[in-house]
Amino acid sequence: MTDRTPVIVGTGMTPFRANRDDSNTRDLATEAVLACLKDAQLDDVKHLEHGLTSYESDHFNRQMTLGAILHDTLGLTPLPNVRVEGGGATGALALRTAYAYIMSGLCDSILVYGVEVNGKSISSQTANQLFALSADVDWEMMVGGTYTAFYAAMMQAHMYRYGTTEADFAYVAVRNRRNAFDNPYAQKPMDITIDDVLSSRPIAEPYKLFDCSLLSDGAATILLATREWAENHSETFMKRPVVAFAGTGCGTDTMRLGDRFPNITHFNGKRIAAQMAYNMAGITDPLEQIDVAELYDSYSGVEIQAVEDLGWVAVGEGAQAITSGTFDKDGQIPVNLSGGLLGRGAPVGATGIAQAIEVITRIQQTPAMQVGLTDTHAGIGTICVVNIFEQRD
Amino acid sequence: MSKVTSQLNLKRAESLLGTTDEWVEFRDIEIISLQFSQGYKHSLGKYSKFFIELENGKLFGTYCPSCNKVYAPPRPLCPSCHEITTWQALPQTGTVQTYSMMHFISNVNADTDQLETPIALVYVQLDDTDTLFPHLLYSDSVSIGMRVRVAFKTDPVQHPIHLMHFVRE
Repeated sequence: MTDRTPVIVGTGMTPFRANRDDSNTRDLATEAVLACLKDAQLDDVKHLEHGLTSYESDHFNRQMTLGAILHDTLGLTPLPNVRVEGGGATGALALRTAYAYIMSGLCDSILVYGVEVNGKSISSQTANQLFALSADVDWEMMVGGTYTAFYAAMMQAHMYRYGTTEADFAYVAVRNRRNAFDNPYAQKPMDITIDDVLSSRPIAEPYKLFDCSLLSDGAATILLATREWAENHSETFMKRPVVAFAGTGCGTDTMRLGDRFPNITHFNGKRIAAQMAYNMAGITDPLEQIDVAELYDSYSGVEIQAVEDLGWVAVGEGAQAITSGTFDKDGQIPVNLSGGLLGRGAPVGATGIAQAIEVITRIQQTPAMQVGLTDTHAGIGTICVVNIFEQRD
Repeated sequence: MSKVTSQLNLKRAESLLGTTDEWVEFRDIEIISLQFSQGYKHSLGKYSKFFIELENGKLFGTYCPSCNKVYAPPRPLCPSCHEITTWQALPQTGTVQTYSMMHFISNVNADTDQLETPIALVYVQLDDTDTLFPHLLYSDSVSIGMRVRVAFKTDPVQHPIHLMHFVRE
């Protein structure tokens, strides 16, 4: 039987910015898709078989059915389309969905485009209320809770149980923002110190301003296809290393942190997702086999939780591994070379796709990097998606 | 003088990447202002008894007769064994298991608009329950292990979850 494992035919994205008020979602999606098609060099765009729209919020656009509208704007009618939403994990879940569409034989090629504008167009009060709708409204949001506080409460318990310190996760805030200097698409590279992070204004303790990631406007696109389709229709495909979408996992957890008690320090859904993806990609020793990764650093401490949940280090040892440089640029697994959500930014529907573009590009350009992982989640790990990409001969 | 009354802002957009601008024909941008607001009728559904009993100064959770777990906040369906739960009156004391001191809160209703920051969001294990109840602690200090109790409000509130909060025991 022919191997239908999806391969990467092309990638493209817009720079991520705090406020692209020169553009709306249609414009951003168009920019990213054109960049992807330019990268793929198709013989004829008419050979595309499917579109997939990835975005989280209907509210910030003042427009529902954006799947169909973007599909039309991009000139993809009358091809089939599907819209995917999965909170913060939307982009990664979109890729996972595309994987299923190709593996099932529904199509041989699928253009996955993710986009988001993040509410700079509305008052902060309105934005606050709209963001609040993505938590458990009656129980957590109506009392005044914020996502920063939910994450902060997890880290507070992590500090209490494992001795993790504020300086430990400040290390992540510093490193990822510095990594962003190497990424022309990054929203906010910064050269700051651990002291700068520790003395930035508190948002929800123990998290302070520089522990928090960015809200962004932007779009990202990946064209996935069977290898046969890619060889037949893309001029660039055979000219560079083949990158396959080798594994994908998804796990979930309770909406409210308190319902997970006593497991309130970690993302159980991420553990499930990682194991699923490792099994598919044949990974038995992740620390040894993974060469590059983008982790979901919505808050700096989340990266410490992630390296533990992904099984790279033992629970409680994440902080030590991170602050000793294991996941720096020149470390064992370079993490968030793009700058991550802290430095590159996070337009939700595009975030998981941009993470994938980062590791795919590294694999294409760096012989020593053959296996890349992305880790993306919604809520406080309510939906977790782990995707794995690897070089194939 | 523009004839477009909604015209809010005109700007000239810059090309973000590269030296050649393929969108050179599309760089004049107009940004307009629109209004969109809506109210909701929101049923509290199977969770309603919890909120109704708050007005009586009582705290209710749900109990699963199959696994003996007590849920607070209530869960009408036990997520562990998919049994339909029963209502159970709860002790109004408990222990803080984790927290965050919030310097900003979600200003989502008239109740939160009145709150002063910083204020602690606490996750409390009410005595004899198996989950953590998230709510505000009205106190100058907070720590993991702190004993707290439920305090009830009698003033009118917009959302009934504000009929309660936590204070130090």
